[in-house]
Amino acid sequence: MAGNLVANFSAGRIRLLLPLLLLAVVLSLPATQLGPNVVRLLFGTAVWITCSVAWNLLGGFTGQVSFGFAVFYGLGAYGAALMINAGYSPYLAFLVAAGVAVLASFLVGLPTFRLRGPYFAIATIGVGETTRVIMNNLDITGGASGLRVIEAGAFRQLDHYYTAIVLAALAVAVSALIAHSKFGLALRAIKQDQDAAADLGVNPYRSKLWIHAIAAAFTGMAGGVYARYHAFIYPGDVFAFQTSISILLMPVIGGIGTVWGPVLGGVIFGIVEEELVVHFPNIHLLLYGSLLIMIILFEPDGLMGLLRRLLRLVRSKPKREHPRSPDPEQVVWGSSRAQGH
Amino acid sequence: MTAVDYLSLLISALLLAGIYAAMAVGMTVIYGVMKIVNLAHAGFLMLGAYFAFEMYDRFHFDPILGAVAALPVFFVFGMGVHWLLVRWLPKSDTPTLASLLLMFGLWQVLQNIGYLKWGNTAYSIFTPRSLSSIHIGEISLPKDKLVVFAAAVVSLVLLQLIFHRSWFGRSMRSLIQNPYAAQIVGVDDERTSRLSFGLGTAFAGFAGALLAMLYPFTPDFGPPFLLRSFVIIVLGGLESISGVALGALILAVLETFSINVPLPWYWHGWNSYYLPASYQPAVSFVLLVVVLLVLPKGIAGLLEKKWRVT
Repeated sequence: MAGNLVANFSAGRIRLLLPLLLLAVVLSLPATQLGPNVVRLLFGTAVWITCSVAWNLLGGFTGQVSFGFAVFYGLGAYGAALMINAGYSPYLAFLVAAGVAVLASFLVGLPTFRLRGPYFAIATIGVGETTRVIMNNLDITGGASGLRVIEAGAFRQLDHYYTAIVLAALAVAVSALIAHSKFGLALRAIKQDQDAAADLGVNPYRSKLWIHAIAAAFTGMAGGVYARYHAFIYPGDVFAFQTSISILLMPVIGGIGTVWGPVLGGVIFGIVEEELVVHFPNIHLLLYGSLLIMIILFEPDGLMGLLRRLLRLVRSKPKREHPRSPDPEQVVWGSSRAQGH
Repeated sequence: MTAVDYLSLLISALLLAGIYAAMAVGMTVIYGVMKIVNLAHAGFLMLGAYFAFEMYDRFHFDPILGAVAALPVFFVFGMGVHWLLVRWLPKSDTPTLASLLLMFGLWQVLQNIGYLKWGNTAYSIFTPRSLSSIHIGEISLPKDKLVVFAAAVVSLVLLQLIFHRSWFGRSMRSLIQNPYAAQIVGVDDERTSRLSFGLGTAFAGFAGALLAMLYPFTPDFGPPFLLRSFVIIVLGGLESISGVALGALILAVLETFSINVPLPWYWHGWNSYYLPASYQPAVSFVLLVVVLLVLPKGIAGLLEKKWRVT
């Protein structure tokens, strides 16, 4: 009985209704007189969700793991900051941030997508660090001492909040659309076997460039939104290797290659990180490291994998013989354990 | 710039190359045998530096002796890490995201332990040798750098001997060349992996202790050296010790010369332009990206291709 209920829930139109309901709740939350601190926390979480979903487009759907998303986040932040300082509307500034990030994504992608899998991942570390060093020394952005973002008019937190929520919702919607489109199918094909995908008429190089550009656009806008709220940015923050790692960590926690995993990861990262830093300022790196190690060793599909497993338990359908064998995830997570040794 | 200036730059680049090679070789061993990009290398280097510091501070061990003492300690530590964590990773012929993230998590844990134990003030090891140098003509050579260079070279030669003259070295090389064939002829994959991980970690600890003699260190000491190690092993073709030595030399020469030698450029007549020293870290990363694109198999791959043609 309970099993039937759950099955109906996940199969029905709820799929579309539930996200909309969630969005409505999140949008109306500030009306319930939340303190500014809670709104700030939710704002930060929404920014992280945007980045997490964007990373997942490239890393999860397409299987191209990038350690360099701070490049787009930082360039977006600086692009928006310079525009706002020049007196333009912040919303125009966010579009410029997206544009700058897209340009950067082509600059990064054109050479590096000639590399495969791990070599691409390693090259992105180099790209990220080079960008940080250059930004640390660039005069027009204030170099290492950072840049103040001065916006005309009063500070209205709710403006920032709604912008971030709408951006995150947009990112999730685009991610869901891509996941169910022919383009998404092509991306998954590239992830499973690039050569086979090419044989079937998918252009891997071009597809990767496009998805990289879309992911960069969202990450850049998220950086812009963050810069406008934070009013002060510096390369050691927005371009830090740590930022790239945070962006990568969220989808991994939530479950890469799924639509909702990165959202879940973003929520957990946004809220839990804050709590961790507040309550365990001395050991939050240790806790994050251990969490990462445990996820890799025990549940490589992240929380979504765990949920799926629990759901399967509740439904108590007859088990498949190999619960996690031929699975597209394996392509990213390494060849299956059954392989030879 | 005079010829003596160039010569002394070349010598300091060579001395730098020694420590760079010792630092990168641990990563090569681990990458070669297990195809794991060891991001925790940064953590091991950092712990090695603090190990030398503690040995000097508590027992008045000369840092060189501290570095030698680090070898067995980190060997056991590395085998423990392999037994506890690394052996559960899915095996693969190419680096996997899982292995990258696992080692990254371990690095974070090690770094946090560093912060808990030593805080974030910078330490350095200061011995009577630190400020003295040997003068040959107009060239002065800091003693510390000479000692570190000698230690690095000796360790690399020993490693090369282990690689080529022992059963363990042979089984490591066979796993690097072809893991399936190696297992067919009776190489114990699990045991060799454990020992190689220990060896790689031992060298990381050793190199960290040597680096501690030259640079001040904090728990966040690893990243620039991690990325340099990576550039070096990519340059060297990822799995050979002589490749590492060559890669280290190239990186050291480029880093030294890029900021000390003026670049000529044309703007209303010929000018010279010094790359600001703050851009020096970017040199290695630009080199990394360029090498990955142009020579994905490193210099060794290039030579191999040449030999095959002729």
